[in-house]
Amino acid sequence: MKKIIYKRTNIQNRTIVLWYVLIFFSFSNCNDFLEIDDPIGQIPHEEVFMNETTATASITSLYGKLRDEVLINGNSSGMGVLMGLYADELDYYGAQGDFYENLFFHNVIASDPTVESIWAKAYNLVYMSNAALEGLENSDQFSMDFKNKLRGEALFVRGLVHFYMVNLFGDIPYPKTTDFIMNSQIHKIPVNLVYENILEDLNEAKSLLGDEYISGERIRANRWVVSALLARVYLYMGRWQDAEQESSNIIDNTTLFSLEIDLNEVFLKESRSTIFQLKPGNSGSNTEEAAIYIFDSPPPPFVALSPNLIEAMESNDLRKTEWIGEVSDGTQSWYYANKYIQQFNTGTSMEYSIVFRLAEQYLIRSEARANQNNIVGAQQDLNVIRNRAGLDNTLAITQEELQQAIVKERRFELFTEQGHRWFDIRRFGIASQILEPIKPGWSVTDILFPIPESELLINPNLAPQNSGY
Amino acid sequence: MEIKLINARSNPMEIGINKRLLLMIMRTFIFLLCTTVFSFNTETTLAQEKVTIEVDKEATIDEVFEIIIDQTKYRFLYPKDLFKGAPKVHLKKGTIRVDKLLNQTISLSRFNIVVSIDDVIIIKEKSKQQQQVSGKVVDEAGIPVPGVTVLIKGTNIGVATSFDGSYSLTVLNPENVLVFSALGFAKQEVTVGDKTVINITLKEDVSELDEVTINAGYYKVTDREKTGSISKVNGSEIENQAVNNPLETLQGRMTGVNITTTSGVPGSGINVRIRGQNSIMAGNEPLYIIDGIPFDSQSLGSSISSGGIIPRGSISSLNAINPASIESIEVLKDADATAIYGSRGANGVILITTKKGKAGKTKFSFSNNTGVAHITKKMDVLNTEQYLEMRREAFANDGITDYPFYAYDVNGTWDMNRYTDWQETLIGYTANSHKVQGSISGGSEGTRFFINGMYQNETSVFPGKFNYDRITVNTNLQHSDKQEKFKLDFNAGYTIEDNFLPGGDLSYYAIYLPPNAPELYDESGNVNWEDGTWNNPIAQFDNKYKNISNTLFTSLSLSYKLANQLDIRLNAGYGANMINDYVTSPHTAYNPAWGLTSANSMVTTNQGNKKYWTLEPQLNWEKSLGMGKLNILLGGTFQSQEFNQFGVYGIGFPTNSFIDNLSAASTIIINNEVATQYKTQSWFTRINYAFKNKFFLNITGRRDGSTRFGPSNRYGNFGALGAAYIFSDDLKIDWLNFGKIRMSYGITGNDQIGDYQYLQTYTINSQLYNENIGLQPSRLFNPEFQWEENRKKEAAIELGFMKNRLTFSFAYYNNRSSNQLINYSLPTTTGFSSILSNLDAEVENKGYEFEIKIIPLKSKDFEWTSSLNISQSRNKLLAFPNLENSTYRNIYVIGKPLSIANLYNLKGVNPQTGIFEFEDYNNDGQLTASDDRKFVADLTPKYFGGLSNFFSYKNWELDVFFQFVKKKGYNQYRVSEPVGTMANQSVDVLDRWQQPGDVADMQRYTTGSDPEAFDAYYRFVQSSGIISDASFIRLKSLTLAYTLYLGKENETSCRLLLTGQNLLTLTKFQGGDPEQMDGYLPPLTRLSFGFQLNL
Repeated sequence: MKKIIYKRTNIQNRTIVLWYVLIFFSFSNCNDFLEIDDPIGQIPHEEVFMNETTATASITSLYGKLRDEVLINGNSSGMGVLMGLYADELDYYGAQGDFYENLFFHNVIASDPTVESIWAKAYNLVYMSNAALEGLENSDQFSMDFKNKLRGEALFVRGLVHFYMVNLFGDIPYPKTTDFIMNSQIHKIPVNLVYENILEDLNEAKSLLGDEYISGERIRANRWVVSALLARVYLYMGRWQDAEQESSNIIDNTTLFSLEIDLNEVFLKESRSTIFQLKPGNSGSNTEEAAIYIFDSPPPPFVALSPNLIEAMESNDLRKTEWIGEVSDGTQSWYYANKYIQQFNTGTSMEYSIVFRLAEQYLIRSEARANQNNIVGAQQDLNVIRNRAGLDNTLAITQEELQQAIVKERRFELFTEQGHRWFDIRRFGIASQILEPIKPGWSVTDILFPIPESELLINPNLAPQNSGY
Repeated sequence: MEIKLINARSNPMEIGINKRLLLMIMRTFIFLLCTTVFSFNTETTLAQEKVTIEVDKEATIDEVFEIIIDQTKYRFLYPKDLFKGAPKVHLKKGTIRVDKLLNQTISLSRFNIVVSIDDVIIIKEKSKQQQQVSGKVVDEAGIPVPGVTVLIKGTNIGVATSFDGSYSLTVLNPENVLVFSALGFAKQEVTVGDKTVINITLKEDVSELDEVTINAGYYKVTDREKTGSISKVNGSEIENQAVNNPLETLQGRMTGVNITTTSGVPGSGINVRIRGQNSIMAGNEPLYIIDGIPFDSQSLGSSISSGGIIPRGSISSLNAINPASIESIEVLKDADATAIYGSRGANGVILITTKKGKAGKTKFSFSNNTGVAHITKKMDVLNTEQYLEMRREAFANDGITDYPFYAYDVNGTWDMNRYTDWQETLIGYTANSHKVQGSISGGSEGTRFFINGMYQNETSVFPGKFNYDRITVNTNLQHSDKQEKFKLDFNAGYTIEDNFLPGGDLSYYAIYLPPNAPELYDESGNVNWEDGTWNNPIAQFDNKYKNISNTLFTSLSLSYKLANQLDIRLNAGYGANMINDYVTSPHTAYNPAWGLTSANSMVTTNQGNKKYWTLEPQLNWEKSLGMGKLNILLGGTFQSQEFNQFGVYGIGFPTNSFIDNLSAASTIIINNEVATQYKTQSWFTRINYAFKNKFFLNITGRRDGSTRFGPSNRYGNFGALGAAYIFSDDLKIDWLNFGKIRMSYGITGNDQIGDYQYLQTYTINSQLYNENIGLQPSRLFNPEFQWEENRKKEAAIELGFMKNRLTFSFAYYNNRSSNQLINYSLPTTTGFSSILSNLDAEVENKGYEFEIKIIPLKSKDFEWTSSLNISQSRNKLLAFPNLENSTYRNIYVIGKPLSIANLYNLKGVNPQTGIFEFEDYNNDGQLTASDDRKFVADLTPKYFGGLSNFFSYKNWELDVFFQFVKKKGYNQYRVSEPVGTMANQSVDVLDRWQQPGDVADMQRYTTGSDPEAFDAYYRFVQSSGIISDASFIRLKSLTLAYTLYLGKENETSCRLLLTGQNLLTLTKFQGGDPEQMDGYLPPLTRLSFGFQLNL
């Protein structure tokens, strides 16, 4: 009896052991256990450049970044607000002690997180452009034409970013690869070399891109968009003849471009004076600019147009009434930029954030002509803008008078658009003269932002720091 | 009980009332029953005798016995009423043998029948086979010991010895084992057998260590035999503390374990560092194991939704564990203990064991606690008068006489006579908490169960109705078959947390708001914007944060004893954590001047999901070899984890009342959508050899594969060697009753980096453009990185004196972490700020751990136990190749700890100019960050520890626990604005420079428009001036309890409990609470009163 029981147990044990061993080795024999799925929300790099939609997305994302977070975005971290405060365009009414206030009072320091963020986001976009350029280069999936157009757009974005960066920081690096080892030790190059690189990128872009707007709307770069930027770049470089040439190209293309006579239509998305604008991400959304500048009741919650700007405008300037809003508490008035008026979702978007428009090209050509002593030509272009604003022809007749008149006109025409005012007073060399009396914290070295301290600490090749920081 | 004794030819005799006598007789009978052979089968005694039945008849059993007595020599002895009411027996006419007749008459299964030598047939009912045992318990000196618990093993039947050491109890059967236990004495077990008197001499407990079983994860070990470094905290120390997160209960209680809270807000994360920071960049989190199954502690929170109120959005998933459901927490520290966890053991292992059911009477327990909580410490800030004086002086210093329009505080816009204590107004409310809890446990030897349920509700210290609710359920089921071959242990816990908080923490505002800032609400109760002159912080409370978390964790352990020495076991576990949270941002939270409407209102949602399972087959073989014992464990681990995160913004609502309905939003933007997998596959082994019960050798090893590494670097090998020698057995010194030295060496790993970091991918983002998806490169990728390795060495000595009333342990450890996985900081010109890679850098953590436990007093009524632990640790960066040219040049210094700050060295305020001056290290006349931030401030704690004192007097218990930390930390100036700007300051700024010649701590006040003073202040906040001594001694917990025993044998008790947490803090630190320096809510002082009813 006992024996039988023992045997039975033994058989049970063996079965259990067998099962156990099976379970154990069913896993261990399976080398695939450590195979895992690709992460959702991520696409392997190579696959992006095997499909037209994703390859295009790698390029359109560059515009998405510009619209939402890099340099020319319309919200509070874009050039419009930041450099508007830095110049004499905007007054600051927001919370005490934050970066905007430091910017407004010219108390920027080298470790400022906003400066770091401007820098980091700009170079992240440069990396994205470079990654797209390399991905396209290495892909054999697409037609030459498709590839060229995307390449042209990436080069345009790279040039655009560096154009703003060189005007903010002076000598900067110009990365053209995704190789992180090279980029982490990259040297900064002098301003003139940066410009040469920008020109190289833009000229190549211009040669690759077509005449038509790719998607019908004026929201992706084509040859005209590149020309518009080139005109501005040449102007900043003082290459007057080239600036005039590029702006003329655009102004003369009347099939595509013409000035909107009604000031209320200039900033609509269908405006024929628009050369390039950034389309909102969500259907029905409008611009960040409208949301950030417009306020309803006094005092201003964040920023308001400087009263000096309003006072300086001629009393019959139509732009004063059409593009500027006023809020009053009965005794005092505050003003805001009212170029874009749609603060909220409108079902179908009505306004896009405009990057290049025809009026700037007239002003560029006017300035380029004035500097080449083409007084009449300069006056003509200037008067186009003045007349549209309901003003009489300019009284400026000498080159110097014209230059002053143009700076003034640019101030009234382009206020709160991507920091034009700051870049103008900077390149005209009149920043000190204008800001010294009104900003107690102003010093001459504020003409450049500091290179972010964290960057300098990590990459000594970026030394020296800009003076004054 | 009455006994019926029937003699031949005599009437039944009634035995008297004297119970003592009766008992004696009973005992004698029982004795007889046990000693006499159950010999009814021995036919020789009864067989020869026959009785004759004359006619068929019905007779009672008693009548049958009368017949037998009449016709034979036999007599009967049995309790009088034994057969009362029994059915009558049918007797047939004829002759029948006595044994057969008895067989017919009474059931042998119910009764024992014994024939004594003198022909008395003794009958006893089997089910009443009780046995009375009595005896006396004395100590080694022969003195009676009162209060000794005498328990029938496996039941809760028992008694306590009386003042003369005697006891008496009834046992159920002879196989019962009596357990004699008393505090301070070694437990003794005696099998009852046939004994009725069991006298015991208790030995004083010289080696309590033997009995303390330590959970080492894959195996258990006694404190005496352990070769590794394992600290243990018992449930009794945890359950009484009035905190939410079980990790908080460990603060200061364990050597080498440094625990800090990130914020006083419920649900916030907890930082745990076991023996310092090993990894420069990868995670330094320990591995958590709950009931044998790894519990992923990584937060499911998203900083986008919860970052405003919970520091870094890091929500501790350990909040799901109810401290009262914990049986014990063990922390594994050295290589010997942690190497079996291989790739994840580098930062230590925290083992949480939940409560289990115990066999015996079903026990019910119910408790109810009510408490209050308040912030620990406020910062001393300027009052209105001092503040306005500061502001006016600042304007005067800057030469500004006309106060600008925006200087609302001093130019008359705001009432200059107002004063608000903003700390009181914004974070100074009293939070109320309420907790009810119930548990049922019990079962038989074979199957035991435990169920615990808890509901908790807690309000916040913020103004407004915010609360944290938690429901937890914990269950345990254990089963073993009769032979104890098959065993099952199942644990399941489920927790629902509902956390409702303001969208942002106002602690920063509470300090820096000007004391004369306007009212929070206007007369009609609306948020007061004071004509848009300030950002009313209370508007932040319109931003609501709501978090619902569900946590399930289960574990099942099945084991089967194949043979005496061989066990197989399968551990399996499944867990799921879910978080759904959102933060609302209604338009009303913004200054109405923006003209916003509900079309601008926004909700940010986040869903985090984690599911994981684990399967661990194991084989355990135990064999005696000569004078030793060998134990071999083999096992494998297969683990898989899936993580999903989904974040959405909803913008624009018809009205704000729909703001928490995402479907009502006019625009929905998907912010992030992430799904990742993580798998590990491992084999492990442990070989343990104990020789003569005094030499111990322990070898552990593990081979681990993890999907966090590229295909070519997936596997790593880890292992350790530990040894211990109990030398006291050989020394035989009277006063030293225990002495052990132990040592260990081994390698563990760390894979705490994100998933998929080795892949080059594009991430899909929400930045749609022209209806095409947004795509951006995910990272700079590196397919080559590998495990981080941690080599740990330890040597320790453990001593016990005076019969272990004084125990002492001392450990030295040295851990070196190499092949560092670094998120190597890069200049952003690379497009990103870092890349993940291995670096041949080495980090050393070494230190001493010291523990002393003493029982100064122990008597019948009074006991005092005291223990002290101190950990001293040094963290050092030993090597960092090419540090000078690396991105870390100005962050780390070779030979210094990792957590340092490189700062300007503040020389003080120049008495002439009134401006801060700093040391110009390279004497170039300029202060540059790279060259002159050379002051190294060490922010690692120098030492820390705890002092615990436990007193009990009769039914009273008092537990007083102090925590202490010696460290330096950032003071109140770190996040401050220049003194004189529109922000309040600590009262320390009153010692300022006012005129040439003044010697002061604070430079001259400035409104910010004096560039020189402004720049100097910004250097000051990056200088040694922001470092202060932040050491503290804190009355961490205090418990006063009174237990009221009720009912028979004290089975029912009611325990009244008064507990406090963070009651008192002694510190020189001026910047508020020394533990909370990030501008978040400081830890809370808690006081709670409750009762616990045990039935």
